[in-house]
Amino acid sequence: MRRFSEFDPVAVTVWFFSVTGVAMFCGHPLLMAISLAGAVLFFVVRNGTKHVRSHIFFFLLFAVLALANPLISHNGATVLFVINDRPVTLEALLYGVNSAAMIVGVLYWFRSLTQIMTSEKVLCVAGTLSPKLALVLSMALRSVPMFARRAKQVSDSQKAMGLYSEDNIIDDIRGHMRVFSIISTWALENGIITADSMAARGYGTGRRTQLRRFRFTAVDAVLVLVTLALLAVTAAAIAADSLAFTFYPRIDITVNGALGICGAAAYGALVLLPIFIETEVSLRWRYLQSKI
Amino acid sequence: MFVIQNRELRNSIRVAVPFVLIPAVTIAGAVVFDRKRHIIISLAVAVMALLLFAAGFERKTTGSRRLVIVSVMTALCFAGRFIPFLKPIAALTIITALYLGGEAGFLVGAMTAVLSNFYFGQGPWTAFQMLAWGMTGLIAGILAEPLKRRKWLLLVYGALAGVAYSFIMDIWTVLWYAEGFSFRLYLGALFTAIPYTLSYAVSNVLFLHFLAKPFGEKLGRIKTKYGV
Repeated sequence: MRRFSEFDPVAVTVWFFSVTGVAMFCGHPLLMAISLAGAVLFFVVRNGTKHVRSHIFFFLLFAVLALANPLISHNGATVLFVINDRPVTLEALLYGVNSAAMIVGVLYWFRSLTQIMTSEKVLCVAGTLSPKLALVLSMALRSVPMFARRAKQVSDSQKAMGLYSEDNIIDDIRGHMRVFSIISTWALENGIITADSMAARGYGTGRRTQLRRFRFTAVDAVLVLVTLALLAVTAAAIAADSLAFTFYPRIDITVNGALGICGAAAYGALVLLPIFIETEVSLRWRYLQSKI
Repeated sequence: MFVIQNRELRNSIRVAVPFVLIPAVTIAGAVVFDRKRHIIISLAVAVMALLLFAAGFERKTTGSRRLVIVSVMTALCFAGRFIPFLKPIAALTIITALYLGGEAGFLVGAMTAVLSNFYFGQGPWTAFQMLAWGMTGLIAGILAEPLKRRKWLLLVYGALAGVAYSFIMDIWTVLWYAEGFSFRLYLGALFTAIPYTLSYAVSNVLFLHFLAKPFGEKLGRIKTKYGV
């Protein structure tokens, strides 16, 4: 067994876009609750108690988003109270809570996605669509730390020559501008030389290979198939109006019949899939360790 | 890792996307979905526009030198996004477009959005950012001649591009939050975004004013020295 983050990038991408796709485009309160709870749980399972600040930020964002809607929208039948001759309604408040759950949930999902899909994996996925774009991306990625190192060298030598002083702000800005100008000239020339060197070594004559090899194995195929099957059930339930909802004028959230229940359950299973995989792997790991 | 057998698929994307898929999605969106589904349509169209561009770019035999210059400019933009408050991305994108053509400009804008979001957070908005910055570059490339001749026109274009970027991203904010386009919400979003809009416009004008000439000289020098 592998950890969820060690599955093939394509399989992980399919899973992520299935989960966030439903979360972004459906808006049914039950599914939003599942999505938000699952997203927070997944993030915590992966990171433990770290990242307290981002949890606080997301909580504040949730509060702001939830409270913004009743101040803007005055639809709805149940008036809670009146500000400036404008009614604040229960329906508008709950609509705001629902939107906030959707947005914060998706933000959590993408936080985990950014952690799992490292740039190397994105390059691998992008490379199947367009090898050239993947090349541009990977070279730019490599250039950023290279520029930073070079900028340090340039500013050091400027200082040694007595050209660079940080005494006043004008001089400081001038010095930075000069370093930036030197760096960009150098970067462009260096780029041309790199390109010529690449051409001399036969760039473009064959297919680009990856540093790490990603193999699409049977387990990855199973993950993709399970994901798509669960997504299909949820999508069918949404399309057949078995998971319908309206907020205005009165709240009406329905989960109709077997299809509706299946749809919600399938989405729940889809969300819990990687958490299940992670837990299974770490339990097995502990078990294997205990036998040593 | 499976590899899509490239050329034929890409050629079919190039034909299918503009003539079949984008109209089909737009019409289906108008007919099938109710008004809550604008967001799916807008996201789908944005992604397809990017796909179309990728497919068209792949078909051309772009020299590796040009590619490398584009990646260098992307890296400079990425590094520039760390400057607090003032963002040189759009300005550098415009400058690249002026001297290396609209396609290079589109690439620099779109790639910077992808790359820097590894740091600033990927999200569904990445596609919109890619499109917005990419279009900033593409249009600058089309208008390259008049923009290069008159400095004030360039500065006006920079300011407009900054404001337009903010307006486009706010359409996305509203669609995401409310699921349908509400004009009042849009105005509210524009109003709260005024500091950002101003910072985009001001930093575009500032960076274009200070960087256009030196960067133009640098890129021009590279062009004559190495014959890109």
